[in-house]
Amino acid sequence: MASEKCPACGSCGFPMEKPEDFALGDTSRPYCRHCTDARGELLPYEQVLETNASYYEQSQGIKPDVAMRMAQAMLADMPAWRDR
Amino acid sequence: MLPATRQEQKEATRERLVNAAMDLFARGGIAQTTTADIAKSIGMSHGNVFVHFPTREDLVIAVIDEFGRRLATEFRGAFEKELGLRAVLRAHLRVLSELEPFYARLVTEAPLLPLKVRSTLLMLHAGVAREIFIALEKERKAGRARKFEKPMIFNTWIGLVHHYIVNRDLFASGDSVMAERGESLINHFMTLVKA
Repeated sequence: MASEKCPACGSCGFPMEKPEDFALGDTSRPYCRHCTDARGELLPYEQVLETNASYYEQSQGIKPDVAMRMAQAMLADMPAWRDR
Repeated sequence: MLPATRQEQKEATRERLVNAAMDLFARGGIAQTTTADIAKSIGMSHGNVFVHFPTREDLVIAVIDEFGRRLATEFRGAFEKELGLRAVLRAHLRVLSELEPFYARLVTEAPLLPLKVRSTLLMLHAGVAREIFIALEKERKAGRARKFEKPMIFNTWIGLVHHYIVNRDLFASGDSVMAERGESLINHFMTLVKA
């Protein structure tokens, strides 16, 4: 199967395939709708971290402290956060 | 045909590396395969690998991301056609069966891999879980499925799938246990959730 390459969010890595996946539905934006606010601005790191940790917890029941460490590891090299 | 731009050449090289890595990881294991092995398999200098992937971990993650992209494409097809839970499960297993040798290594070695790699795999699982939860909720509202604790029902599905994949030599005679046994796993899961 040929895979269609799609951009990934520069904050969390979420694959952005459809316009509604992008901040404000604008496909030229580097971040996804989950990592941005109503004006399309990138949310604070702590908020993105908590959101990502909650994905691990809610989907697979991973312990909160481990979920937080996994989210930190995921975000560490993302363009939005690697220099923080 | 216009000559490829530098960016296109770079992307093509990156793709070759990802494909070669997926192949070698599947055959020799993720922890045991070196970047030098991967470079050699496609006639590339070892140093060139690091132009594209600064660390070995980044290359492993790129392979998992490729897997994630294929899943996203399959799920989009199932979602757009509103085909329901069975179609979501089939979409999941279709991608697993295409990449099964690599995936088998990944789930077998996962507890020993760096946290960053493991986090990427489990985030992929979160994406699969989301699709299952949405489809299951629709089935529940239509009176065809019972209500479950979300992590528990996802872990039931992924645990079942992983057991067959990790022990694939015990369950399948061909190359893909998901191709041979996948439909019976789906039937079992659908019976389990039925209202």
